[in-house]
Amino acid sequence: MAASADPVVLRHRDLEKIANVALKVGRVLMECGGRVSVVREGMRLAARGLGANVVGERVGYASLTLTVGAGEETITRMIDVGPHGVNYRLDVAVRRYATQLALQGGAPQEVSETIDRLMRETPRYPLWVVAPATGLACAAFGRLLGVDWPAFLPILAAGCVGQWVRAKLRGRGTNACLIAAVVAFLAGALGGFGARAAGSASAEMALIASTLLLVPGVPATNAQTDIMEGFPTVGSARAVSVAMIMVFATIGIWGAEAVLGLLP
Amino acid sequence: MTLLSVPLMLDVAHQGAFGAVAAWGFGVLFNFDGRSLIWCSALGVLALGVRTLALAGGWSLEAASFAAALAAGAIVSLTSPQRGEAVDVLALAGCIPMVPGAFFGKAILGLFAVTAPAPAHPQDMAIFAIVAMTRVILTLGAIGAGLAIPTQMTRHRGF
Repeated sequence: MAASADPVVLRHRDLEKIANVALKVGRVLMECGGRVSVVREGMRLAARGLGANVVGERVGYASLTLTVGAGEETITRMIDVGPHGVNYRLDVAVRRYATQLALQGGAPQEVSETIDRLMRETPRYPLWVVAPATGLACAAFGRLLGVDWPAFLPILAAGCVGQWVRAKLRGRGTNACLIAAVVAFLAGALGGFGARAAGSASAEMALIASTLLLVPGVPATNAQTDIMEGFPTVGSARAVSVAMIMVFATIGIWGAEAVLGLLP
Repeated sequence: MTLLSVPLMLDVAHQGAFGAVAAWGFGVLFNFDGRSLIWCSALGVLALGVRTLALAGGWSLEAASFAAALAAGAIVSLTSPQRGEAVDVLALAGCIPMVPGAFFGKAILGLFAVTAPAPAHPQDMAIFAIVAMTRVILTLGAIGAGLAIPTQMTRHRGF
């Protein structure tokens, strides 16, 4: 008998496609900044919509594993997760699609193509919008920390440059910790120097405010939520990553303070 | 400052306005759509306003941050059926301006200073660094708990 005529082999092939597509949904949600419970739910909804049950799943910081089944047959597949970021619009689009898929069903190939299309076509702000917006956020952060008005524009400009450099370095695949150190040094030095040149009395705080674009607020709170929801492994991994980013950012800040002669 | 005094209201307005701007900026960075950016800014106003009032009432930064995050999380959770999914991320973005990144930097820089070849006042620096780090941990924990409680108490868990 030919292999393609064997119903068990065919079922395994179907399950493999379903598992791979469900894992793809989970990977996108994870890379968009989703909590573990969201990633698991996304994979479950996708698998259910494609006609399989989720027997078990493992969500790790750098990979996802999923076992799906139908009747007596089960299959386990794994997928790597890329760099974690935050992309709200793609996150929402995939969550909505997974919910719709669970209700209406679909075919694995079609679902895979839709996920690819969402990744390709979901709008993103261009860098010339994101960089000034980030700089403005840093300047506002500065005001919240008590920085005086002369430092406002220098922080805005430094945060803008910092975000621009971060995006370019990320696009080249540079290590995230290295990016944190480089951007903290550059933005901090620019912000501190600019504030001093503008006659600010709070140059040191301006230096720190210029680097606040690097604070990983979403992973930090996700770490806590994951641990609260019963996923301490991923939560701990996120917390350690947050700490490492902040340590490297602080090295950059220390370098900028040394350059500006602000070290005690 | 007594409650509802003019200086306090000005302080609340200042903190709320810049909390809104900071939340909006981070919303753009996180790729929020236009309508969500408005919500994000409004939550920034709410969170910073509540925190400022609580601080003026003599609360600690940690307790004030908890109250502010709880308020933002509750508003988002109560209105979530109208807005759909990913409300957890929306509430979090409104609270981003309260993340104590500057304290963390100060804590690490304090530790650097303690380990310098000949620190001037090592005990003072060590205490400063420990206090700053403790505040980072407790404030982050307070924000996380404040955001998580309303989400866990409603049916809307992200989908």
